[in-house]
Amino acid sequence: MICVRISIKGARKILSTLVGTLQSTLGVLAVIFGYFLYSNLFGLRETSKVPAELLPFYMLILTVFGFFSIISGLFLLTESSVSP
Amino acid sequence: MKRKLGFFDAVMMGLSGSIGFEIFVLMDYAYFGLAGPSIILALLLGGLVNLLIMFSYCELSAAIPEVGGEYTYTKAAYGGLVAFVSGCLRWLASVFGASLAALAFARQLSYLFLRIAPVFEVFVSIQTPLIAVIVIIILTALDVKGAKKVGPMIVVTFLALFTIFLLSGLWHGLTPPDVVPKPLPQGLSGVFAATAYMFPMFFGMRALVAGAAQIRNAEKNIPRAIILSASLIVPLYISVAYVAVGVVPLGDFDEPFLNLAAENILPGVGGVLFAIAGMVASLSALGTSIAVQSSVARGMSRDGYLPKALLSVHRRYGTPYVATIAGSLFIIFLSAVGYVEFLGYAASFGSILVFALVNLSLLKLRKKKPYLKRAFKAPLYPFTPIAGVVMSFVLLVSPVFFGDVNAISALMSGLGLMGLVLLTYYLRMVGRHRVQVALGGISLVMGILTALLTYLIETEFLPITLSPGSLYILAFFSAISIVAGILNVTVRTPKIF
Repeated sequence: MICVRISIKGARKILSTLVGTLQSTLGVLAVIFGYFLYSNLFGLRETSKVPAELLPFYMLILTVFGFFSIISGLFLLTESSVSP
Repeated sequence: MKRKLGFFDAVMMGLSGSIGFEIFVLMDYAYFGLAGPSIILALLLGGLVNLLIMFSYCELSAAIPEVGGEYTYTKAAYGGLVAFVSGCLRWLASVFGASLAALAFARQLSYLFLRIAPVFEVFVSIQTPLIAVIVIIILTALDVKGAKKVGPMIVVTFLALFTIFLLSGLWHGLTPPDVVPKPLPQGLSGVFAATAYMFPMFFGMRALVAGAAQIRNAEKNIPRAIILSASLIVPLYISVAYVAVGVVPLGDFDEPFLNLAAENILPGVGGVLFAIAGMVASLSALGTSIAVQSSVARGMSRDGYLPKALLSVHRRYGTPYVATIAGSLFIIFLSAVGYVEFLGYAASFGSILVFALVNLSLLKLRKKKPYLKRAFKAPLYPFTPIAGVVMSFVLLVSPVFFGDVNAISALMSGLGLMGLVLLTYYLRMVGRHRVQVALGGISLVMGILTALLTYLIETEFLPITLSPGSLYILAFFSAISIVAGILNVTVRTPKIF
């Protein structure tokens, strides 16, 4: 029973690390994508077919989702350093 | 730390903190875009407001001669949230100032190429933000390695340069500028806006307060040095502005204002000298700002407001590399944007708010600790700190009333950042576990919404067209968010016993 508990804890730690890394990375990419969209780098607005009137909305969504993803991912990554 | 510096050293510290790159970059927009020849009035007003604020600094530095400056004063007066806010504002002001310094360097480099190698100037002027970013990276690396910074000998060189500029200008012959803003009273709003924009030219003087621990007989020498520095800076700035305005008419120029004036007075050499001086000043300010922002971040980390990771020291160089690199990333991002006017206002607003808090701290400490030993007391109390608070407020709002888009953007960005600061403080007080659960809930909702959105786009229910690759990315993002949300929500409660 103790071995099962320890292995569940270990699996959770591995999963938290993996998911945390992925979520933080996706968050960073979302923020960077939002910045590229704002600056129209590499003609991204035309490639993504983003209508001009919806640009502020896209940017808000990308930035908010991006930052929340980064912070949530970081909490998962650092969970192993504070958990008993 | 041994107190080795005397009164003269303290004055030089105040002057070297003030005379910097700001004069080479801020007067452009203030003259051409805001107040015209009335920037002379704007500088006088800025000097008077600065003197009011410095009286408060004098009293507080004499009463609390400890390292930390504004953060220490607000902590003693209010503690907690207000100290955290003032620390964050100080950090933001350093970051914005550093970005401005990097861009100022790039602009002066572009001008230098214009004068000595015009064939490269076009490339350099287009790549100004990129040059600024490269300079930041180099100076950050040097700071991490613990390289020594340029000392206050710069102020002697600059004083000599400005003296040559003034004497040559008077010899050259000037068109006396009409400093009264027209039409009155509407023209006054431009003067106030220019005062707010150029205010960073004055507040470097508080470097003197930051170095309080090194000054002998600090209770007497610091207040005297602050007043003397403030009294020397204002006539210097006004004289330089008077001469520059007298030789450069209003118009649409690409070259920096002071460089243009110097070139008109000393053809062939004036512009180049000022470009080199501007580059040296910018590099010095940038190096100092990178160090200051890391120092402020570490101070707040030490007090538990920011993550402990910021206190990490490099194993080989012994420098606070995490705090330095984290702050430098923000500086790089701001410099890459490349908006000098926005950064000028942002740097100014951050510091003006800090000044208002310092004045309020003085009022609070006079009531809370009336028996604190004060070697210097602000004259005409409570007029001076109240006037300091009122003038800070006026300087904050006047560019907005003037309708300056850059000021409005800077103020809105500042308010947004302050919201984040307050949220950070609140989250810190609530505790990790509750925050993690809350974020888990948010992540779960984000994941479900994204999954729903992906489904609606896939089934063409929403009139949005996305490539199959983008839909897969959205689906992946929603899956990760849902799993992360579940993991965060199901985190175990920490055991108290």
